[in-house]
Amino acid sequence: MSLHPMYARPRDLEQASQLLASLSSGAVIIAGGQEIMPFINYGVMMPDVYVDIGGIKALKGVNVNDDEVSIGALTVHRDIQSTEDIVERLPLLAYAAQQIGGGWQVHNRGTIGGNIVSMHPLYDIAPALLALDADVELLSDKGLQRMSLLQLQNDSSHGLGSSSILTKILVKTMLPNVLWGYYKLKNSAGAYGSANAAAVIQMDGEKIKSIRIVIGAVSETSVVISKALDGYLGGAYTLEIGRAIEKVCIDAIDEPLSDQQGDGVWRKAMAGIAARRATEMALSNLTTSSIKR
Amino acid sequence: MEDLLDTSALIQLRVDGEFHELDVLAGRTLLDVLRDDIGKKGTHLGCKTGHCGACTVMIDGKVAKSCITMAATLARAEITTIEGLLDEKGGLHPIQQSFWDEAGLQCGYCAPGIVLSALELVTDNHHPSAEDIELALAGSLCRCTGYQSIKRSVAEACVRMYPANENIN
Repeated sequence: MSLHPMYARPRDLEQASQLLASLSSGAVIIAGGQEIMPFINYGVMMPDVYVDIGGIKALKGVNVNDDEVSIGALTVHRDIQSTEDIVERLPLLAYAAQQIGGGWQVHNRGTIGGNIVSMHPLYDIAPALLALDADVELLSDKGLQRMSLLQLQNDSSHGLGSSSILTKILVKTMLPNVLWGYYKLKNSAGAYGSANAAAVIQMDGEKIKSIRIVIGAVSETSVVISKALDGYLGGAYTLEIGRAIEKVCIDAIDEPLSDQQGDGVWRKAMAGIAARRATEMALSNLTTSSIKR
Repeated sequence: MEDLLDTSALIQLRVDGEFHELDVLAGRTLLDVLRDDIGKKGTHLGCKTGHCGACTVMIDGKVAKSCITMAATLARAEITTIEGLLDEKGGLHPIQQSFWDEAGLQCGYCAPGIVLSALELVTDNHHPSAEDIELALAGSLCRCTGYQSIKRSVAEACVRMYPANENIN
């Protein structure tokens, strides 16, 4: 904690990484600042050193290599919503980025990397990326390392540790026969979700071939539900199956959050509702065309 | 590595067309720099958490909440505040005039932010739908008007700025 914090603007990734390795745990990484500045303003966080990675070119840009989309950690939400390669290849992610609160002001500066490393349970990006089984690339003093976002989330609920930098997010292009839905239950337009759900469904004609649902904003970390839904594969979707999926998702929530977004018992129930509505949105077949830039 | 660290950072801002080179302390917000160092009092402090939008300014043509933007991170930037919208004679910008004419503000505390969000919208989109307007203004809270007159003001501004728009609404 410091009343006179220091500031550094490393030129490139190598310099940033060396700097972080040389500093104690009082250092924080800053780029858009949308996550960290409210805490600074209210004295909740008083870092010794700010390491500003906002100018590092290697962390910017969206690229496609074969069937994989690589998204630089500094890509802002506004670009996630509108970059052609993301809108066309990862429409679920583009749609989830539109659901982020705070308006254009926050979307213009908040970065996908900051959104992920904050590990905030109420945010919208993690459920979408987990539904797409995304990987992340990290740089630390041990070098570059690739791991699944799920592994990162489960390794620690406190982010990456102060010596690592999240450099990019890697996501496989969604196949044309994959349907998707995202439902955010919230009590006002710009509010955090009380229950968020992302659904990714693969169809074989009228029959459900695979289904993966991720519930956010209900527990400390997002909950991925896939194997528990195996019993509902192979048939067409009916309201009964929708209700059954709802129940599976409710049962998957062990320790629901109780906070300003609602009481735990209600949140657990709403996890099921959000999951069913995301599933129905996916099956309505309207999702790809409803993306609005 | 120590030589990278300093308690302050040099930034170069062009604020409403005027060049400023400033040495700012780490952790200070753009809002504080604009109001206290440069004297742009039209940029308002509301919540300091990024919820209310009263502090909205444009950074390189894109709206941002200056209370949650750390000034040091803007090595070089073009800033537009509400004061920058006036013309050379001090006359109101067409968006401001529409807000005046259509009662788009009452107390006016949120208005600078909302006007700048509207400016970003109409710069890229001369024919915004009602939904486009709502989306563009979603980052600002107004506790007086109920939003209807604000949305009407933005639509009216589009008609005035781009007269081919007679048919919107």
